[in-house]
This record gives sequence, C-alpha cells and structure tokens, in this order.
Amino acid sequence: MIEFDRLSKRYGDLLAVRELSLTVPGGEVYALLGANGAGKTTALRCLATLLRPTSGAARIAGFDAAREPLEVRRRLGFLAASMGLYQRLTARELLRYFARLNGMEDEVAAPRVEEMVRAFGLGEFADRLCGKLSTGQRQRVSIARAVVHDPPALVLDEPTLGLDVLSSESIFRFIAEARERGRAVIFSTHQMSEVELLADRVGIIAGGRLVAEGTVGGIVAGAGEQNLARAFLRIVREAA
Amino acid sequence: MNLRLVLTVLAKELRETLRDRRTLFMMIVIPTLLYPGLMVVLEQMTLFGQRRLSEKPAAVAVRGADPALAAFLRRDTAIRLLPAESASVAAVRRRHAEAAIVVGASPTPLAASVPAAGGGTDSVRVLYDPSYERSQRAHDVAAQALRAWNDSLLARRLSARGLPADFARPLALADSSVATAQETGAYALGRFLPVLLILMTLLGAFYPAIDLAAGEKERGTLETLLTAPVPAGEIVAGKFAAVALIGMAAAAANLLSMLLTFQSGVFKFAKAAHVQFTLPWSTALLVLVGLVPLAVLFSALFLGIAVRSQSFKEAQNALTPVQLASTLPILVTMLPGIEFNAALAAVPVVGIAMMFRELMGGSARLVPSLVAFGTTILYAGLALHFAARAFGREDVLFGGGASTVAAGGWRGRMRAWRAGPRRVPLPAEAFVFVAGIALLYFHAGAALQARFGERGLLYSEWGLLFVPAIALALIGPFDARRTLALRWPTARGLAGALLVALGGIPLGWALGWAQVQALHLEMPREMVGALQKLVTASDLPRFLWLLLLVAVTPAFCEEAVFRGVLFQSLAREQRMWRTVALTALVFGAFHLSGETAIRFLPTAWIGVLMGIVVWRTRSIFASMLMHFVNNGMAVVVVSLPALRGLVLSDLGEPNWLLVAAAPLALAAGLWLLPPHTPLPDDVVAEPDSREAAEEAGRVEEVR
Repeated sequence: MIEFDRLSKRYGDLLAVRELSLTVPGGEVYALLGANGAGKTTALRCLATLLRPTSGAARIAGFDAAREPLEVRRRLGFLAASMGLYQRLTARELLRYFARLNGMEDEVAAPRVEEMVRAFGLGEFADRLCGKLSTGQRQRVSIARAVVHDPPALVLDEPTLGLDVLSSESIFRFIAEARERGRAVIFSTHQMSEVELLADRVGIIAGGRLVAEGTVGGIVAGAGEQNLARAFLRIVREAA
Repeated sequence: MNLRLVLTVLAKELRETLRDRRTLFMMIVIPTLLYPGLMVVLEQMTLFGQRRLSEKPAAVAVRGADPALAAFLRRDTAIRLLPAESASVAAVRRRHAEAAIVVGASPTPLAASVPAAGGGTDSVRVLYDPSYERSQRAHDVAAQALRAWNDSLLARRLSARGLPADFARPLALADSSVATAQETGAYALGRFLPVLLILMTLLGAFYPAIDLAAGEKERGTLETLLTAPVPAGEIVAGKFAAVALIGMAAAAANLLSMLLTFQSGVFKFAKAAHVQFTLPWSTALLVLVGLVPLAVLFSALFLGIAVRSQSFKEAQNALTPVQLASTLPILVTMLPGIEFNAALAAVPVVGIAMMFRELMGGSARLVPSLVAFGTTILYAGLALHFAARAFGREDVLFGGGASTVAAGGWRGRMRAWRAGPRRVPLPAEAFVFVAGIALLYFHAGAALQARFGERGLLYSEWGLLFVPAIALALIGPFDARRTLALRWPTARGLAGALLVALGGIPLGWALGWAQVQALHLEMPREMVGALQKLVTASDLPRFLWLLLLVAVTPAFCEEAVFRGVLFQSLAREQRMWRTVALTALVFGAFHLSGETAIRFLPTAWIGVLMGIVVWRTRSIFASMLMHFVNNGMAVVVVSLPALRGLVLSDLGEPNWLLVAAAPLALAAGLWLLPPHTPLPDDVVAEPDSREAAEEAGRVEEVR
C-alpha cells in the first residue's frame, strides 16, 4: 500500500534522505524512528506529495507521489504535529471543508461529517471554533479531519509531539483502530514507548538512511541489547 | 480548473476572514465610523481654532503712521495697537508683536493736516511671521484695515478735486464661476478621492493576503491543505478571489461611507464655499468596475509575496515596501498639470488612479481609460502568475530546508557568509550590493562631482563602482573570474558584439525620440546644454580626456557592477530572459539618478543588448566594448558637427536611414555571436523543471 523506492531528497549540500526503500502493506503499522533531523519528516513529506524527491519514488496504492499527486492525496490521511486546524472555523465546518476538498458532494459530506462527529466524540464542541478548543479536543478534531475521506493509507508525522498522556492515548487508539480496519499506517516518532506499543515493524533512520528495519523484538535482538532504546542508540552510533 | 473546489476554498476563506476582528475593523469599522467622525472632528477643530484666533484682537505695532491712520487703526476692534518700539523685525520674530505696520518715508510726504487733499504715495510694510498662525491672522487684519484706510483716503482726494468716487475705478472686477456647485465638488473629489480609494483597496487586501498565505503557513494549516486532493491552482484561485473580494469590499465600503458623509451636509465649509460633494451613481459604478482589476492586482501581488514569507511578521516586513511603492505613485494624481494620456494610463496603479480622477471630474477619455483598464488587467494577470507559481514550489512553502543561522553577532555572520563558498553571489547578495553602491553613488558621487567637476565623475565611477565590485569579487567567498565574467571572447564573438552595438545604438536613439514624442516630454534646456558641454571636445587632448571620462571609465566601472556582479549572480539560475531583463532594468534605473526619466528606456535597451551579448559570449569584455562604443559614439557625434548632422537632426530626430539599416547590423551581430555554452560547473536546467535547476543551484552553491 505504502512504498518508498530508493527515494532520495537533497536540500543543497544536505542529503536529507538517501535511497530509502520500504513498504507498508494494508493492516500494518510502521514506525519510522530517528533522532531530530534524521530525515523522517522529509521522507513523509515526499510521500504526502509536499516535497518532490530528488530521485527515486514514493507511492501509495501504486500511485507515484511526484507524478500523480492528486491520486495519492485521495488515498492519504495526513496528520502532523501542528494539527493543521483553522482557528476561526468550527470543528464541524472544518470537517465539512475537508470533505468537500476531497470531492464529496454535500449530500454525501453532511452524513459523513456527522458520522465523524459521533465516532470521535466531537458532539459537545462540534460548533465551537477550533481556536477555542483544548489540546485534547483539537487532537480529536485533527484525527477526524485526516480520515474524513476514509483513506486507505495514513501518514502521521510525530503525531504525539507536545501532547499529554491522555491526548496521546487517543492517538494510540486511533492507530490501533486504523490497523484493524486494514489501513496502512506509517508514523514518525522518537518515542520508543510508542513504537513498542504500536508498531508492527520499525525502521530506524539515521543521517537520511534506513539503517535497520524489522520488528521491535528483531531489532532489539539484532543489536544485542535489552530494550529498543538501547538498541536504537547502538544502531545510530554505529551508523554515524 | 475545478470551479467547485475554487468556490469551496473561497467560501472558507471568506468565512474565516469575516470572523477576524482585525480585517472587519479595516473593512467596516474604519470606513463607517472614521469618515463621519473625522469630518466632524476636523471641522470642529478648525472652527475652534478660528474662534480662538479671532476672539482676541491682533497685537499690531505701528511705526511712522500719521495720527489720523493711528486713530483709524485704534478704532478697529480687531486690532490692539502696540507702541512703535515693537514695530521691528526682531520684535515680530520674538513674537512681542504679532505683526507690525511700518510706514516709510515717501518722496512726497503727506502732510498730516491735508491727507485727503495731498498727493503722493507712502510705502507701508506689514511685517509678519508666516510660520506663526496668530501672526498670519494679524497680517490679514492689518492689511484689511490698511486697504480700508487707503480707500477712504482715495475717496477724500477725489472728492477734494471734485471727481466722482468711481473715477479711480475704471473696471469693476467680479469673478463669476460658471461651474455648478456639483462640478466644483466633483473636481475637488477627483483630486483626493482616487488616492484614498486606492489606498483603502490596498489596505483592505493587505492583512487578508498575509493571513491567507504566510499566516496559514505559520499556523501549519497550509501543509494540511496541500495534502488534500486539490491542485495548487485551485487553492491559489480561491484564496486570491477571497483577498480580491475583501479588497474590493473595503474600497466599496469606503467609497459609500465617504459619499454619505459628504452628502449628509455635515461638512459646512463646503456649503459656505458653494461646493457640493456628490458623485452620480453611474460614476460610482464605473469607479467600482475600475477597482476590480486593481484589487486583483494588489491581491495577487500581496499573496505572491506573502506566501514567500515564513511568518506573519516576515510577510508584513516584506509587504510594507511594496505597499509604499504602490502608494507613492498615485500622489501624481494630486499634482496640477498632469494630463491623462495613454502613456500615463499604462503606468501601474497610476493609470487607474488617473481614470478615477477623470471620471469623478465628470468625463474620462475613452482611449486612456481603456489602456488603464487593459494594462491593469495585464499586470494583474502577471501578478497572479507570480502568486500561483509560489504555491507550487516547495522551497517557497517549506523554506530552503538547509538554512543555518549564524550566531555570534556580525563577526559570526561574516564568518558564516565567507564559510559558504559559491562561485558567484546569490541574487539577494548582488541586489543588496547594487542597492548599496547606488546609494553611495547617489550621495558621495554627487558630492564628489560637485566638488571636483569632471574629475569627480572619474573618481566616483572608479572609487564607488569599480573598486567595490572588484573588492566584493575578491573578498567574498566567490570565484572572482566567474563573478566578473573575466573570460576572453573569441574574435567572432567580439565582432558580433560590435555589430550588435552598431545596430542597437541607432535603434536606441529612435526609441528615445519616439518616447519623447509619445509622452510629449522635453529635456530641460539646461540639462541638454550641460550634457552637450560634457561630451563636446574642442581639441584632441579634450577629446581624449572625454573618451576616458565618458566612454572608457563607464565601460570598465559600470560593466563590473552590472554585467559582472549582478548579471552573473542572476545567471546562475540559467534563465536568460529573466537575467537580461532584470539587469537591464536595474541598469536603466541606475541612470535615472544623474539624468532624467527620459534616459531610462534607451539605457535599458542598450542594457538588454549588452546582456544578450554577455549571455552568449560569457565575457564581460564584449559588453565593455559595446559600452565604450555606445558612449564613445556620443562624444564623437557631438564633437564633430558634420557627423552630427548626418546622424541626428537639431531636434534630436535620428536619421531614419540609419535606423532602417540598424536591424540588419543587429541581426548580423546576433548571428555572429556564439551560442550560450554552459561552463563545466554550470547549473544545467531541464526545460520545465525549475526545481531541478534550484536543486542543482544549491549543489553548485556547496561546491
């Protein structure tokens, strides 16, 4: 479903991502683990059609992000740490806006928005401006916005950054549910606990390169360490 | 284009904007409250000020007046007489007296006892300080009293000689305006309303443009929006339509509020002056129609700049100079004697402002109006293209990606600047450099030329242009040879450059002459004289000196700056026409400082030709040759009257035979020029792949 094929991205003298190749089939959660500046966000932005790869390709459902961006976006739910909510729209208006941008006619969009409101428990504050919502409420609206068009692939760029435990919990639940629904999920993080809790597979990225890939257990064992945090440190140091 | 998506974006943007108090304040609150409030306050303040001025009699000192005049003045309740000692310049300057009447000695002094019957004229001076309001009023009051005294004296003299009172008044002058109060009002409206309207349209679009572009980027919503399956074009169109509508709504609200304020009768001064401020609905509608392309132009321009900024504050900083640059030209409409012709109509913003002025004055000429409307639509289209391109570029949306901020103050920044080696300066660096030396040239160069005359010109060219250009190339982290294009051209390239110059020069003359004819411009006589004197040689040493001063020096100094630093920095992106046009524009603008606006087009034209030649030959020596030939020809032609007659008429009209033959030389020169060949380490742009060029540009930057 999600595929990176020898993708590289260069910013001037900085090769942010080098020859990244990985696949995430439907129903799998893939964690992209790396330190700050490792290239996680750049790789995910290439997949989300926000950046053009310098070479190689990123695909969703076989569609190339650089050549067929609109097809990719139709199949993509994108969530970033900034949440991307319009402060002066209500939660309901925001969902309706993105439903329409995703090509839904009003008669389809309206019931879908209500479905999202119910599914994510937005009823109490659906008609309040997003700028007036609490962080947790904003997070829920943001997730609903990302899946309002029922995409088969989810790209989450550090989705729990700056969130408290309760708000993070709603993200974890959302990811687990997405897996159950057969969606392909890729998320970036540098929180080991999240990875251990959620990921079916992990890719460790350092200096723009994928330096290790496998299940959490496989990576820990491969590095000869006791836990993922230590394994991560060893792998990253060796790669440097 | 998917209209449904555009409307979706538009509706959302309007909804959000209308919930923004800042925008609403600008759009609704200011126009509806400000104008009535401002008018009332202004009028009240003026009346209050006038009352304050007139409630106390003017303190006027009198010296040398006969007792009868003194008594006359004393009887005037608007005047309080001060002693004769205060009737001096010093006293008025120190404000001991508000004004002073000084009666001087007359050749035939009036006898105090027979003022009415005597003859002669006494000189009377009224001393006052025009920078002091009370003194101005005292002057008016004193002058009025003196006129009354003058009339009464005259009447008595006439009466003493048995002449009728109207003997000394053969003409009874009376002004009678044929304009109606509405027409007078329309004329006055046309002087200031266009400026205000355009300003408010501009301000109306200012904040929404920033908010919808840079603001959205800063809040992180643009990233989310761009992952929705909507092409960038639809997003730009929706956002741009929202900004344009808001700009137009702001302008319409302002227009309406102003008209209602004027028509409410609150402005009593207008009534007293028999002026009626009113605007027919048909005119208001036409003005609104004219505002549409203008709002489009501002919106697209602001949006295109705002989206290139990373934050609201950065966008504000970037837009403020643009806002100023858009506002200042419209002040032209307030100047007297400016005629609305097709050439002026084509000037961005000014054309529409002039059209408004004419419309409000009662009639707008059709052709210039159509030109103003059409060119504004054209400029708006270009601005829209500029905005749309930004939305599709990742470096604009997410920044350069590899930028670093140097710490440690200026020294740290300097070190960081030098630590990033690149073959040629970045365009921003080159523009800052050119702006800096242009300022230096404007101030220090003018001073040098004022002090040392012709030698000052020599000093300023070498010292303020050549030396800084060489210093930048050598001291900066650049390849000096590349930065200054120090590459020998082939003989064929040099011959091509010469032919291009010989073909281009007469065409430049023709262009200058056509421009003067079209715009009905005239070079100031003193300037023509000074220029002719500057380039006219009377003997061989003077001829050689002039060649050095006017031809050799600019060929080295100006070329090092323009076809060297600036051109080479722009050329790094491998886009010929942009590089050539931008350099030529800056080159033309640089010559505005010392001469006149008339010089801009011909200079820019030569700049274009020199740019093409440098692009093709990659050699600054080729453009130096052209520059030398161009300027040297002026010296030769002016110094040799026989030759001058063959080339130009006394009125500056070029020899049309030469002009007709020029394209042949130009074409032959262009044919001779070698094709543009990339150097081994050049950036090679793929067609239609701007990003590839930019990527490669960054790679080159790193080498």
